[in-house]
Amino acid sequence: MRWSVYFLAVLLAVAFDSSLGAVLEVSGAQPRLLPCVVVFALLAAPRGLAVRAAMLAGLVADLLSPAVRADGTQLVVIGPWVLGFALGSLAVVPLRSLLYRRNAIAGGFATLVFCMLAAVAFVMVWVLRILLTRDDSPAWWPGSGAGEVWIQTKSAMASAVLALPALWLLEKSRVAWGFSSAKKLVPGAARETA
Amino acid sequence: MNVTRILQFLSARLSGRRLDWLLACVALILGLLPARALAPWTSDVSRVVAVPIVPMMHMGMAVRDRVRPARDVFDPRAPEVVSLEMAAERFRSLYEQARLRSEALEREAAELKGVRSRLGPNSAELSTATVVGIDPTRRDGTVRINAGARNGIRADAAVIARGDVLVGIVSADIGELFAQVIPVSRRSVSVRLYPDDPADANRNPADYPGTVLKPVEGGRWVGDIASNADLREGQIARIDDPRFGAAALGMRVGRVRRVIMNDQVPLARKVEVEPLVDLASERTVVVAVEPQRAPQ
Repeated sequence: MRWSVYFLAVLLAVAFDSSLGAVLEVSGAQPRLLPCVVVFALLAAPRGLAVRAAMLAGLVADLLSPAVRADGTQLVVIGPWVLGFALGSLAVVPLRSLLYRRNAIAGGFATLVFCMLAAVAFVMVWVLRILLTRDDSPAWWPGSGAGEVWIQTKSAMASAVLALPALWLLEKSRVAWGFSSAKKLVPGAARETA
Repeated sequence: MNVTRILQFLSARLSGRRLDWLLACVALILGLLPARALAPWTSDVSRVVAVPIVPMMHMGMAVRDRVRPARDVFDPRAPEVVSLEMAAERFRSLYEQARLRSEALEREAAELKGVRSRLGPNSAELSTATVVGIDPTRRDGTVRINAGARNGIRADAAVIARGDVLVGIVSADIGELFAQVIPVSRRSVSVRLYPDDPADANRNPADYPGTVLKPVEGGRWVGDIASNADLREGQIARIDDPRFGAAALGMRVGRVRRVIMNDQVPLARKVEVEPLVDLASERTVVVAVEPQRAPQ
Protein backbone atom coordinates (compact mmCIF):
# COMPACT_ATOMS: atom_id res chain seq x y z
CA MET A 1 0.00 0.00 0.00
CA ARG A 2 1.26 3.46 -0.88
CA TRP A 3 1.16 5.50 2.32
CA SER A 4 1.35 8.81 0.47
CA VAL A 5 -1.84 8.00 -1.45
CA TYR A 6 -3.54 6.84 1.72
CA PHE A 7 -2.56 9.98 3.64
CA LEU A 8 -3.73 12.21 0.80
CA ALA A 9 -7.05 10.34 0.67
CA VAL A 10 -7.45 10.76 4.45
CA LEU A 11 -6.82 14.52 4.20
CA LEU A 12 -9.28 14.85 1.32
CA ALA A 13 -11.88 12.86 3.24
CA VAL A 14 -11.48 15.02 6.35
CA ALA A 15 -11.75 18.17 4.23
CA PHE A 16 -14.93 16.75 2.67
CA ASP A 17 -16.39 15.89 6.09
CA SER A 18 -15.54 19.39 7.35
CA SER A 19 -17.27 21.20 4.53
CA LEU A 20 -19.23 19.60 1.73
CA GLY A 21 -20.30 16.64 3.87
CA ALA A 22 -22.85 18.84 5.63
CA VAL A 23 -24.86 18.87 2.38
CA LEU A 24 -25.64 15.18 2.85
CA GLU A 25 -26.99 15.61 6.40
CA VAL A 26 -30.47 14.18 6.85
CA SER A 27 -32.29 14.91 10.13
CA GLY A 28 -29.12 15.20 12.15
CA ALA A 29 -27.37 12.19 10.62
CA GLN A 30 -24.28 13.39 8.82
CA PRO A 31 -22.39 10.76 6.83
CA ARG A 32 -18.62 10.79 7.01
CA LEU A 33 -16.26 9.93 4.20
CA LEU A 34 -13.25 9.29 6.42
CA PRO A 35 -14.48 5.87 7.69
CA CYS A 36 -15.26 4.87 4.09
CA VAL A 37 -11.66 5.60 3.04
CA VAL A 38 -10.30 3.72 6.05
CA VAL A 39 -12.55 0.71 5.43
CA PHE A 40 -11.53 0.67 1.77
CA ALA A 41 -7.89 0.54 2.84
CA LEU A 42 -8.62 -2.06 5.54
CA LEU A 43 -10.32 -4.38 3.07
CA ALA A 44 -7.34 -4.35 0.73
CA ALA A 45 -4.21 -3.47 2.71
CA PRO A 46 -1.88 -6.08 4.19
CA ARG A 47 -3.09 -7.22 7.61
CA GLY A 48 0.05 -6.02 9.32
CA LEU A 49 -0.54 -2.43 8.24
CA ALA A 50 -4.30 -2.28 8.75
CA VAL A 51 -4.40 -1.15 12.37
CA ARG A 52 -1.65 1.41 11.84
CA ALA A 53 -3.44 2.87 8.83
CA ALA A 54 -6.67 3.17 10.80
CA MET A 55 -4.87 4.80 13.73
CA LEU A 56 -3.31 7.37 11.39
CA ALA A 57 -6.76 8.36 10.16
CA GLY A 58 -7.99 8.48 13.77
CA LEU A 59 -5.10 10.77 14.66
CA VAL A 60 -6.11 13.22 11.91
CA ALA A 61 -9.74 13.08 13.13
CA ASP A 62 -8.62 13.78 16.71
CA LEU A 63 -6.42 16.68 15.68
CA LEU A 64 -9.15 18.38 13.68
CA SER A 65 -12.02 18.02 16.13
CA PRO A 66 -11.16 19.88 19.31
CA ALA A 67 -13.43 19.44 22.30
CA VAL A 68 -15.17 22.53 23.63
CA ARG A 69 -14.88 22.54 27.42
CA ALA A 70 -17.31 23.87 29.98
CA ASP A 71 -15.12 26.89 30.71
CA GLY A 72 -15.35 28.00 27.09
CA THR A 73 -11.87 26.93 26.04
CA GLN A 74 -11.06 24.22 23.57
CA LEU A 75 -8.78 21.24 23.89
CA VAL A 76 -7.37 18.87 21.30
CA VAL A 77 -7.27 15.41 22.85
CA ILE A 78 -5.26 12.84 20.93
CA GLY A 79 -6.45 9.30 21.54
CA PRO A 80 -10.22 8.79 21.50
CA TRP A 81 -10.60 8.49 17.73
CA VAL A 82 -7.16 6.84 17.36
CA LEU A 83 -8.28 4.02 19.65
CA GLY A 84 -11.78 4.05 18.18
CA PHE A 85 -10.46 3.55 14.67
CA ALA A 86 -8.02 0.90 15.92
CA LEU A 87 -10.89 -1.07 17.48
CA GLY A 88 -12.96 -0.64 14.34
CA SER A 89 -10.11 -1.95 12.22
CA LEU A 90 -9.67 -4.96 14.51
CA ALA A 91 -13.30 -5.83 13.78
CA VAL A 92 -13.15 -5.21 10.04
CA VAL A 93 -9.92 -7.07 9.28
CA PRO A 94 -11.31 -10.52 10.32
CA LEU A 95 -14.44 -9.75 8.28
CA ARG A 96 -12.36 -9.66 5.11
CA SER A 97 -12.45 -13.42 4.83
CA LEU A 98 -16.26 -13.40 5.15
CA LEU A 99 -17.00 -10.54 2.75
CA TYR A 100 -16.57 -10.18 -0.94
CA ARG A 101 -14.17 -7.28 -0.63
CA ARG A 102 -14.87 -5.57 -3.93
CA ASN A 103 -18.61 -5.51 -3.38
CA ALA A 104 -19.84 -2.07 -2.35
CA ILE A 105 -22.65 -3.50 -0.19
CA ALA A 106 -20.14 -5.61 1.72
CA GLY A 107 -18.07 -2.46 2.13
CA GLY A 108 -21.11 -0.60 3.42
CA PHE A 109 -21.69 -3.29 6.04
CA ALA A 110 -18.02 -3.18 7.04
CA THR A 111 -18.27 0.62 7.33
CA LEU A 112 -21.27 0.31 9.63
CA VAL A 113 -19.44 -2.15 11.89
CA PHE A 114 -16.32 0.00 11.82
CA CYS A 115 -18.16 3.23 12.70
CA MET A 116 -20.20 1.64 15.48
CA LEU A 117 -17.18 0.14 17.22
CA ALA A 118 -15.16 3.31 16.71
CA ALA A 119 -17.94 5.34 18.32
CA VAL A 120 -18.20 2.97 21.28
CA ALA A 121 -14.44 3.13 21.86
CA PHE A 122 -14.51 6.91 21.44
CA VAL A 123 -17.15 7.29 24.15
CA MET A 124 -15.40 4.77 26.41
CA VAL A 125 -12.06 6.58 26.21
CA TRP A 126 -13.76 9.87 27.03
CA VAL A 127 -15.65 8.31 29.97
CA LEU A 128 -12.40 6.83 31.24
CA ARG A 129 -10.75 10.21 30.82
CA ILE A 130 -13.47 11.95 32.84
CA LEU A 131 -13.23 9.35 35.59
CA LEU A 132 -9.46 9.62 35.85
CA THR A 133 -8.81 13.32 35.34
CA ARG A 134 -12.08 14.66 36.84
CA ASP A 135 -11.45 18.11 35.40
CA ASP A 136 -12.52 17.70 31.82
CA SER A 137 -15.73 18.13 29.90
CA PRO A 138 -16.27 15.42 27.30
CA ALA A 139 -16.31 16.09 23.56
CA TRP A 140 -20.10 15.87 23.60
CA TRP A 141 -20.56 18.45 26.38
CA PRO A 142 -23.27 19.65 27.19
CA GLY A 143 -24.94 16.48 25.87
CA SER A 144 -24.81 13.06 27.46
CA GLY A 145 -22.72 10.02 26.57
CA ALA A 146 -25.84 8.10 25.58
CA GLY A 147 -26.90 10.97 23.36
CA GLU A 148 -23.47 10.93 21.73
CA VAL A 149 -23.73 7.18 21.07
CA TRP A 150 -27.12 7.78 19.42
CA ILE A 151 -25.72 10.62 17.27
CA GLN A 152 -22.75 8.48 16.27
CA THR A 153 -25.07 5.55 15.51
CA LYS A 154 -27.07 7.73 13.13
CA SER A 155 -23.84 8.97 11.61
CA ALA A 156 -22.62 5.36 11.25
CA MET A 157 -25.78 4.37 9.38
CA ALA A 158 -25.47 7.40 7.12
CA SER A 159 -21.78 6.62 6.54
CA ALA A 160 -22.70 3.06 5.57
CA VAL A 161 -25.04 4.45 2.92
CA LEU A 162 -22.38 6.89 1.73
CA ALA A 163 -19.93 4.00 1.56
CA LEU A 164 -21.86 2.42 -1.32
CA PRO A 165 -20.95 5.08 -3.92
CA ALA A 166 -17.70 6.05 -2.14
CA LEU A 167 -16.26 2.54 -2.16
CA TRP A 168 -17.36 2.06 -5.76
CA LEU A 169 -15.45 5.22 -6.70
CA LEU A 170 -12.43 4.27 -4.60
CA GLU A 171 -12.42 0.87 -6.26
CA LYS A 172 -11.84 2.65 -9.57
CA SER A 173 -8.66 4.17 -8.14
CA ARG A 174 -7.35 0.84 -6.82
CA VAL A 175 -4.29 0.90 -9.12
CA ALA A 176 -3.07 4.17 -7.60
CA TRP A 177 -3.14 2.71 -4.07
CA GLY A 178 -0.56 0.06 -4.91
CA PHE A 179 -2.21 -2.78 -3.02
CA SER A 180 -0.24 -5.97 -3.41
CA SER A 181 -2.25 -8.76 -5.02
CA ALA A 182 0.39 -11.46 -4.52
CA LYS A 183 -0.41 -14.11 -1.91
CA LYS A 184 2.18 -15.50 0.40
CA LEU A 185 2.43 -19.27 0.17
CA VAL A 186 2.98 -20.99 3.48
CA PRO A 187 3.55 -24.66 4.06
CA GLY A 188 0.65 -26.52 5.66
CA ALA A 189 -0.83 -29.94 6.11
CA ALA A 190 -2.77 -29.86 2.84
CA ARG A 191 0.23 -28.69 0.86
CA GLU A 192 2.44 -31.41 2.38
CA THR A 193 -0.15 -34.05 1.48
CA ALA A 194 -0.21 -32.82 -2.10
CA MET B 1 27.05 4.32 17.98
CA ASN B 2 25.01 3.33 21.01
CA VAL B 3 22.06 5.29 19.68
CA THR B 4 22.30 3.47 16.34
CA ARG B 5 22.37 0.17 18.16
CA ILE B 6 19.38 1.09 20.26
CA LEU B 7 17.47 2.14 17.17
CA GLN B 8 18.40 -1.08 15.39
CA PHE B 9 17.33 -3.06 18.43
CA LEU B 10 14.04 -1.20 18.66
CA SER B 11 13.28 -1.53 14.94
CA ALA B 12 13.99 -5.25 15.15
CA ARG B 13 11.81 -5.66 18.22
CA LEU B 14 9.06 -3.20 17.42
CA SER B 15 7.35 -4.45 14.34
CA GLY B 16 4.02 -5.96 13.47
CA ARG B 17 1.68 -6.48 16.36
CA ARG B 18 4.07 -5.16 18.99
CA LEU B 19 4.24 -1.81 17.21
CA ASP B 20 0.43 -1.69 16.99
CA TRP B 21 0.12 -2.33 20.71
CA LEU B 22 2.78 0.25 21.49
CA LEU B 23 0.98 2.88 19.37
CA ALA B 24 -2.35 2.02 21.00
CA CYS B 25 -0.81 2.34 24.47
CA VAL B 26 0.71 5.71 23.53
CA ALA B 27 -2.69 6.85 22.23
CA LEU B 28 -4.39 5.69 25.44
CA ILE B 29 -1.85 7.50 27.61
CA LEU B 30 -2.22 10.67 25.53
CA GLY B 31 -5.99 10.34 25.69
CA LEU B 32 -5.91 10.16 29.47
CA LEU B 33 -3.44 12.96 30.11
CA PRO B 34 -4.90 15.94 31.99
CA ALA B 35 -5.76 19.08 30.06
CA ARG B 36 -2.80 21.02 31.43
CA ALA B 37 -0.42 18.48 29.88
CA LEU B 38 -2.16 18.50 26.48
CA ALA B 39 -3.17 22.13 26.00
CA PRO B 40 0.36 23.56 25.50
CA TRP B 41 1.14 21.47 22.41
CA THR B 42 -1.84 19.65 20.87
CA SER B 43 -3.40 22.84 19.51
CA ASP B 44 -0.12 23.67 17.76
CA VAL B 45 0.06 20.21 16.18
CA SER B 46 -3.57 20.51 15.14
CA ARG B 47 -2.87 23.87 13.51
CA VAL B 48 0.04 22.40 11.52
CA VAL B 49 -2.08 19.47 10.29
CA ALA B 50 -4.89 21.86 9.34
CA VAL B 51 -2.67 23.93 7.03
CA PRO B 52 -3.00 21.70 3.92
CA ILE B 53 -6.65 20.94 4.68
CA VAL B 54 -8.01 24.46 5.10
CA PRO B 55 -7.84 25.42 1.37
CA MET B 56 -9.69 22.21 0.49
CA MET B 57 -12.27 22.92 3.21
CA HIS B 58 -12.70 26.43 1.86
CA MET B 59 -13.45 25.11 -1.62
CA GLY B 60 -15.81 22.54 -0.16
CA MET B 61 -17.69 25.21 1.80
CA ALA B 62 -18.06 27.30 -1.35
CA VAL B 63 -19.56 24.31 -3.14
CA ARG B 64 -21.77 23.53 -0.12
CA ASP B 65 -23.19 27.04 -0.09
CA ARG B 66 -24.09 26.67 -3.76
CA VAL B 67 -25.54 23.18 -3.43
CA ARG B 68 -27.48 23.70 -0.21
CA PRO B 69 -27.89 27.36 0.74
CA ALA B 70 -29.42 28.28 4.08
CA ARG B 71 -33.17 27.62 3.89
CA ASP B 72 -34.29 31.01 5.04
CA VAL B 73 -32.19 32.97 2.55
CA PHE B 74 -34.35 32.64 -0.56
CA ASP B 75 -37.92 33.06 0.59
CA PRO B 76 -39.12 36.36 -0.90
CA ARG B 77 -42.69 35.88 0.34
CA ALA B 78 -41.80 35.46 3.98
CA PRO B 79 -43.31 38.25 6.11
CA GLU B 80 -39.97 39.21 7.58
CA VAL B 81 -38.52 39.59 4.07
CA VAL B 82 -41.43 41.83 3.03
CA SER B 83 -41.05 43.94 6.15
CA LEU B 84 -37.30 44.13 5.52
CA GLU B 85 -37.90 45.38 1.99
CA MET B 86 -40.20 48.08 3.33
CA ALA B 87 -37.65 48.97 5.94
CA ALA B 88 -34.98 49.16 3.21
CA GLU B 89 -37.09 51.73 1.31
CA ARG B 90 -37.52 53.76 4.46
CA PHE B 91 -33.83 53.61 5.19
CA ARG B 92 -33.00 54.78 1.67
CA SER B 93 -34.80 58.04 2.45
CA LEU B 94 -33.10 58.22 5.78
CA TYR B 95 -29.78 57.63 4.06
CA GLU B 96 -30.20 60.73 1.89
CA GLN B 97 -31.19 62.68 4.95
CA ALA B 98 -28.17 61.37 6.77
CA ARG B 99 -25.85 62.34 3.92
CA LEU B 100 -26.85 65.97 4.34
CA ARG B 101 -26.30 65.76 8.04
CA SER B 102 -22.96 63.98 7.62
CA GLU B 103 -21.34 67.15 6.29
CA ALA B 104 -22.11 68.92 9.52
CA LEU B 105 -21.15 65.90 11.56
CA GLU B 106 -17.80 65.58 9.84
CA ARG B 107 -16.81 68.91 11.28
CA GLU B 108 -17.79 67.70 14.71
CA ALA B 109 -16.00 64.42 14.14
CA ALA B 110 -12.75 66.25 13.51
CA GLU B 111 -13.10 67.81 16.92
CA LEU B 112 -14.00 64.50 18.53
CA LYS B 113 -11.02 62.82 16.91
CA GLY B 114 -8.78 65.16 18.77
CA VAL B 115 -10.41 64.16 22.06
CA ARG B 116 -10.29 60.48 21.21
CA SER B 117 -6.60 60.53 20.40
CA ARG B 118 -6.08 61.84 23.89
CA LEU B 119 -8.32 59.23 25.50
CA GLY B 120 -7.07 56.36 23.34
CA PRO B 121 -9.12 54.11 21.05
CA ASN B 122 -12.03 52.49 22.86
CA SER B 123 -14.22 51.09 20.12
CA ALA B 124 -14.05 47.67 18.54
CA GLU B 125 -12.30 47.11 15.25
CA LEU B 126 -14.42 45.11 12.83
CA SER B 127 -13.13 42.66 10.27
CA THR B 128 -15.08 40.29 8.07
CA ALA B 129 -14.19 36.63 7.72
CA THR B 130 -15.43 33.65 5.76
CA VAL B 131 -16.35 30.37 7.41
CA VAL B 132 -13.93 27.92 5.83
CA GLY B 133 -14.47 24.76 7.82
CA ILE B 134 -16.61 23.06 10.41
CA ASP B 135 -15.79 20.30 12.86
CA PRO B 136 -15.49 17.06 10.84
CA THR B 137 -16.90 14.91 13.61
CA ARG B 138 -19.70 16.95 15.15
CA ARG B 139 -22.20 19.49 13.88
CA ASP B 140 -22.06 21.77 16.93
CA GLY B 141 -18.27 21.81 17.20
CA THR B 142 -15.83 24.60 16.56
CA VAL B 143 -15.80 26.49 13.27
CA ARG B 144 -12.76 27.70 11.36
CA ILE B 145 -12.68 31.20 9.84
CA ASN B 146 -10.15 32.58 7.37
CA ALA B 147 -8.94 35.42 9.55
CA GLY B 148 -6.15 35.06 12.04
CA ALA B 149 -3.47 36.87 13.94
CA ARG B 150 -2.37 38.71 10.79
CA ASN B 151 -5.83 40.23 10.52
CA GLY B 152 -5.65 41.40 14.10
CA ILE B 153 -7.95 38.67 15.44
CA ARG B 154 -7.56 38.01 19.14
CA ALA B 155 -8.90 35.43 21.57
CA ASP B 156 -12.35 36.10 23.06
CA ALA B 157 -13.32 38.45 20.23
CA ALA B 158 -17.05 38.46 19.50
CA VAL B 159 -18.13 36.84 16.22
CA ILE B 160 -21.26 38.42 14.79
CA ALA B 161 -23.58 37.38 11.98
CA ARG B 162 -26.52 39.01 10.24
CA GLY B 163 -25.86 42.43 11.70
CA ASP B 164 -26.36 42.00 15.43
CA VAL B 165 -26.52 38.32 16.28
CA LEU B 166 -23.66 37.04 18.44
CA VAL B 167 -22.82 33.58 17.07
CA GLY B 168 -19.49 32.73 18.61
CA ILE B 169 -16.34 33.63 20.46
CA VAL B 170 -12.84 33.33 19.00
CA SER B 171 -10.98 30.62 20.87
CA ALA B 172 -7.41 30.89 22.07
CA ASP B 173 -6.28 28.74 19.15
CA ILE B 174 -5.46 31.43 16.58
CA GLY B 175 -3.25 30.75 13.59
CA GLU B 176 -1.60 33.33 11.41
CA LEU B 177 -4.24 33.08 8.70
CA PHE B 178 -7.17 31.31 10.36
CA ALA B 179 -8.80 30.99 13.74
CA GLN B 180 -11.19 28.66 15.54
CA VAL B 181 -14.52 29.97 16.76
CA ILE B 182 -16.47 28.38 19.61
CA PRO B 183 -20.22 28.60 18.95
CA VAL B 184 -21.96 30.74 21.53
CA SER B 185 -24.44 27.88 22.00
CA ARG B 186 -21.66 25.98 23.80
CA ARG B 187 -21.08 28.79 26.31
CA SER B 188 -23.03 29.89 29.38
CA VAL B 189 -24.31 33.40 28.74
CA SER B 190 -26.00 36.00 30.86
CA VAL B 191 -28.93 37.53 28.96
CA ARG B 192 -32.02 39.66 29.30
CA LEU B 193 -35.24 38.60 27.62
CA TYR B 194 -36.68 41.39 25.48
CA PRO B 195 -40.10 41.36 23.88
CA ASP B 196 -40.18 40.37 20.23
CA ASP B 197 -42.22 43.48 19.47
CA PRO B 198 -39.89 46.49 19.65
CA ALA B 199 -42.81 48.81 20.56
CA ASP B 200 -42.09 48.71 24.28
CA ALA B 201 -38.31 48.66 23.86
CA ASN B 202 -38.11 52.07 25.48
CA ARG B 203 -38.59 50.57 28.90
CA ASN B 204 -35.76 50.48 31.38
CA PRO B 205 -33.56 47.42 30.60
CA ALA B 206 -33.74 46.45 34.28
CA ASP B 207 -37.47 45.75 33.77
CA TYR B 208 -36.71 42.89 31.42
CA PRO B 209 -36.10 39.55 33.12
CA GLY B 210 -32.50 38.43 33.21
CA THR B 211 -31.11 34.93 33.47
CA VAL B 212 -27.99 32.89 32.95
CA LEU B 213 -28.47 30.49 30.07
CA LYS B 214 -26.70 27.18 30.39
CA PRO B 215 -26.05 25.06 27.30
CA VAL B 216 -27.95 21.78 27.05
CA GLU B 217 -28.12 18.98 24.52
CA GLY B 218 -29.32 19.87 21.04
CA GLY B 219 -27.53 23.24 20.81
CA ARG B 220 -30.02 25.07 23.04
CA TRP B 221 -29.84 26.78 26.41
CA VAL B 222 -31.94 26.57 29.55
CA GLY B 223 -32.20 29.33 32.13
CA ASP B 224 -33.99 29.72 35.47
CA ILE B 225 -36.11 32.75 36.19
CA ALA B 226 -37.39 33.39 39.69
CA SER B 227 -39.72 36.36 39.26
CA ASN B 228 -43.22 37.11 38.08
CA ALA B 229 -41.92 38.83 34.95
CA ASP B 230 -43.85 38.39 31.73
CA LEU B 231 -42.38 35.39 29.87
CA ARG B 232 -43.55 34.41 26.42
CA GLU B 233 -42.41 32.27 23.56
CA GLY B 234 -40.63 34.29 20.90
CA GLN B 235 -38.96 36.72 23.31
CA ILE B 236 -35.48 37.73 22.22
CA ALA B 237 -32.48 37.01 24.42
CA ARG B 238 -29.91 39.79 24.34
CA ILE B 239 -26.41 39.55 25.77
CA ASP B 240 -26.01 41.13 29.19
CA ASP B 241 -22.61 39.68 29.91
CA PRO B 242 -19.51 41.85 30.27
CA ARG B 243 -17.26 38.84 29.66
CA PHE B 244 -17.90 39.09 25.93
CA GLY B 245 -16.81 42.71 25.76
CA ALA B 246 -18.59 45.96 25.09
CA ALA B 247 -19.09 45.12 21.41
CA ALA B 248 -21.26 42.11 22.21
CA LEU B 249 -23.34 43.78 24.90
CA GLY B 250 -27.01 44.01 23.89
CA MET B 251 -26.65 41.78 20.85
CA ARG B 252 -29.30 39.24 20.03
CA VAL B 253 -28.34 35.66 20.71
CA GLY B 254 -31.46 33.52 20.84
CA ARG B 255 -35.23 33.25 20.97
CA VAL B 256 -37.38 31.78 23.75
CA ARG B 257 -38.67 28.46 22.47
CA ARG B 258 -40.51 27.25 25.53
CA VAL B 259 -41.45 28.46 28.97
CA ILE B 260 -41.51 25.59 31.44
CA MET B 261 -43.78 26.18 34.42
CA ASN B 262 -43.34 24.70 37.87
CA ASP B 263 -46.77 24.06 39.48
CA GLN B 264 -45.34 23.76 42.99
CA VAL B 265 -43.30 26.97 42.81
CA PRO B 266 -45.16 29.35 40.50
CA LEU B 267 -42.41 31.96 40.48
CA ALA B 268 -39.65 29.51 39.56
CA ARG B 269 -39.82 29.02 35.84
CA LYS B 270 -37.41 27.78 33.23
CA VAL B 271 -36.98 29.12 29.73
CA GLU B 272 -35.61 27.13 26.85
CA VAL B 273 -33.83 29.33 24.34
CA GLU B 274 -32.72 28.35 20.85
CA PRO B 275 -29.94 30.18 18.97
CA LEU B 276 -31.12 32.63 16.33
CA VAL B 277 -28.34 31.68 13.93
CA ASP B 278 -26.44 28.44 13.46
CA LEU B 279 -22.78 29.41 13.13
CA ALA B 280 -21.93 26.33 11.02
CA SER B 281 -24.48 27.38 8.39
CA GLU B 282 -23.13 30.91 7.97
CA ARG B 283 -21.01 31.92 5.03
CA THR B 284 -19.47 35.14 6.34
CA VAL B 285 -19.18 36.61 9.81
CA VAL B 286 -17.85 39.80 11.35
CA VAL B 287 -15.27 39.66 14.10
CA ALA B 288 -15.29 42.56 16.56
CA VAL B 289 -11.85 42.96 18.07
CA GLU B 290 -11.82 45.26 21.00
CA PRO B 291 -8.72 47.31 21.75
CA GLN B 292 -6.41 45.60 24.16
CA ARG B 293 -6.51 46.91 27.68
CA ALA B 294 -3.27 48.34 28.94
CA PRO B 295 -1.60 46.14 31.55
CA GLN B 296 -2.54 47.22 35.07
